[in-house]
Amino acid sequence: MAFLKPNAGAALLRGSAPRWAAWCVVVAFFAAHVSAARAEAAAISAENQIKAVFLFNFTQFVKWPARTFADAQAPIVIGVLGEDPFGPYLDGVVQNEKIGGRPIVVRRYRRVEDLAECHILFISRSESARLEQICAQLNKSWSILTVGDSENFSRQGGMVRFATEGGKTRLRINIAAAKAAELTLSSKLLAHAVIVVSGKN
Amino acid sequence: MNLSVSSRAPLPLRRKARPPHWPATLLLALLAFATPAPRAAAQSDPVLPPSSTLKKFSMEQLLDVVVTSVSKRPERLLDTASAIQVITADDVRRAGATSIPEALRLASNLQVAQIDSRQWAITSRGFNNLFADKLLVLIDGRSVYTPLYAGVYWDVQDTLLEDLDRIEVISGPGATQWGANAVNGVINITTKSARDTQGGLLLGGGGSELRSSGGARYGGQLAPGVYYRIYGKYTDRGDSVRPNDRASNDAWRTGQGGFRVDWDAAAGNTLTLQSDLYDATMGQPRPDNIRANGGNLIGRWSRQIGESSDFKLQVYYDRTHRRIPGSFTQNLDTYDVDFQYHLPVGSAQNIVWGLGYRRVEDDITNTPANAFLPPRVGREWLNAFAQDEIALSKDRLHLTLGTKIEHNDYTGTDLEPSARIAWTPDGSQTIWTAISRAVRTPSRIDRDLYSPATPPYRIAGGPRVVSEKLVAYELGYRIQADPQLTFSLATFYHDYDDLRSLEPLTPPLPFPVEISSGLRGYSVGAEFTADWRVTPFWRLHAGYTELRTRSEPQPGSIDRPRARSVGHDANQQAFLRSLFNLSAKWEFDTDLRYVGPINNQSVPGYTELNLRIGWHPAEAWEVSLEGRNLLHDHHAEFNTPGSRREIQRGVYGKISWRF
Repeated sequence: MAFLKPNAGAALLRGSAPRWAAWCVVVAFFAAHVSAARAEAAAISAENQIKAVFLFNFTQFVKWPARTFADAQAPIVIGVLGEDPFGPYLDGVVQNEKIGGRPIVVRRYRRVEDLAECHILFISRSESARLEQICAQLNKSWSILTVGDSENFSRQGGMVRFATEGGKTRLRINIAAAKAAELTLSSKLLAHAVIVVSGKN
Repeated sequence: MNLSVSSRAPLPLRRKARPPHWPATLLLALLAFATPAPRAAAQSDPVLPPSSTLKKFSMEQLLDVVVTSVSKRPERLLDTASAIQVITADDVRRAGATSIPEALRLASNLQVAQIDSRQWAITSRGFNNLFADKLLVLIDGRSVYTPLYAGVYWDVQDTLLEDLDRIEVISGPGATQWGANAVNGVINITTKSARDTQGGLLLGGGGSELRSSGGARYGGQLAPGVYYRIYGKYTDRGDSVRPNDRASNDAWRTGQGGFRVDWDAAAGNTLTLQSDLYDATMGQPRPDNIRANGGNLIGRWSRQIGESSDFKLQVYYDRTHRRIPGSFTQNLDTYDVDFQYHLPVGSAQNIVWGLGYRRVEDDITNTPANAFLPPRVGREWLNAFAQDEIALSKDRLHLTLGTKIEHNDYTGTDLEPSARIAWTPDGSQTIWTAISRAVRTPSRIDRDLYSPATPPYRIAGGPRVVSEKLVAYELGYRIQADPQLTFSLATFYHDYDDLRSLEPLTPPLPFPVEISSGLRGYSVGAEFTADWRVTPFWRLHAGYTELRTRSEPQPGSIDRPRARSVGHDANQQAFLRSLFNLSAKWEFDTDLRYVGPINNQSVPGYTELNLRIGWHPAEAWEVSLEGRNLLHDHHAEFNTPGSRREIQRGVYGKISWRF
């Protein structure tokens, strides 16, 4: 740690600008070099990383009716409907995880009709135009925890909405909708959420 | 409102020796090598721990992860056109800091020196002293800069450190937005919303120096969307020592408690009500202990209007009482109202404007040794500011123009304009430059101090003291070399006029003196930081600051200070911190610092080391052992040899439980 030498700095400011410049050139060059080497590590936004981890956490805080599983080993299915904002990150999060002996799998869906086996469904913003219709269709017949992050998500019947406020993630939960779908939400989850009622956001 | 920098011409370097041409050389060198590197999609975001770590987070922790940068407008730290450093709650925890001043050592753009067991000299960009008068400090929007002494009583600025959200340290003037006395820097301390501190927390610890401390907090929900927390804490600290090893009788105890309620009401409204109360007893050798107590009550209403506009209205009351036997007793009441409105204009402009009013009522009981005359005063400040951020080229070049107009009872109206330019060539690096003007308005110690309390005086007040003025030139560069590696460099030249002087009234006799504004000065330097997440479990942080300050009499002044600077500043300081997760349960943290000598106080340079071992036997439990200033039995950080106190090695154990 050469810069700890008390006199090094003094010499720099006494007019030897080239040393300053040389030092910074080294730093900048090093930075550019390292950056090129790691550029391939494409990542999703921090916001979406946290949402992906929440989707995984929900598997521990929600109880589904037994009839939604084919047998004791049947997996818990996390679905993404529409444009997928998580990519392989979500698959990485649930990889090798088991909840109550059940593995967790991620499936991508395009049509509501394919959702029969799904337990947690993230409804992408790409679907927000037909959100009301989707929720109505799901809540009526299936026990699926619907999750989303579009502005009007709760108002249109969605159960858990991610909102970003003050730089942090917030959960807004529509309990009535969850109850109607025969889902039991743990108090641990509710304690940290803002409870909303249908028709409001 | 005048939005241009028109204070004086010609602007730069007109009389001081040694124009600092090296920043220009530096910029050229950086430009030459600022080659854009291929970028990943989300390099602008905060960097989160890997998913394997995030999965182990509790709900509370997940909700507390900052996923977008916080500011009036969402703005990345990387793009900010000022020398800002942010200390997070986790940084404070892992540094084992037990007080706000200790936490401030984590910002390498601050000069932090512990004077004795309870007093600290803290500033940025130099001119440091016990009451460093050019640094504005805010805790949850409440100014803690005392209008009596022009400085901060650090011994009564506290909160439960576990409730801290973040500390923003901006070195350089922030007067345009923050107002008077934000001359050399701003420290903005914020605590978490009550929503983020739900549940219980108990903590306690003991050791040497920090002999014992304990704290408790409980947070719950009053109604849907209405969250509260209450807290209390107690601290007992031991003596510092004289250079001859004798204790200096400055041990002290404080107790503090408070509450905060946050209501997330409908339609983007957030309401906050918070309050703190404290009481402290501080040792001094004679004639008796110092007593200090006080409290505050803050109300805040912020509202989001549509997609991109918002306003904030804040009202607070603050009371402090301090009895220093042998010196004076003070009762100070502060009333403050602040309003800020932010609105975008078109697609290329963002305007923030605001209004502020403050009234203080200061009541001093004087002693024969010295007096503030008149003993009882009421003072008012009024301000208005406007700032416009203009996108000259979308996402590439931003110009921020703004000014504050501030009126005070001593000197009338001051104008504090600034112009800042940020160039972000490729989203991973920013070059910024700024010219700004800031003032330090007179405090009671400048105008009203007499010693002794009755004539004939040796110090005869300061009827002619005017505001200290600064014009600051800054140039900085930040690069996020990759998601794991960030460098930042800020260089500056500060040009001061009308600094405080002591003018002999009957020369050649040195006394009596009148306080005046007869000095001028400059400071020049550079602040460098590097942050490197070497692996997911190891993080390194380095900081280095180089600083020179000088002051001299202006024409007409007959003050002849002996030192080359009226500030007491080390010319350089360096920090290296390592945060290492040995496993999911064990943390090992190292903090090494070097601070150069303070020549005009004959304080030698020193190197010191803090170590911390943290153990999480279960999610709700944390046990830690901390060693502070381990390299010496005791070492000096500030003050002339005659009145110097030295800081001892300290070892401290702590245990905390969340429920």
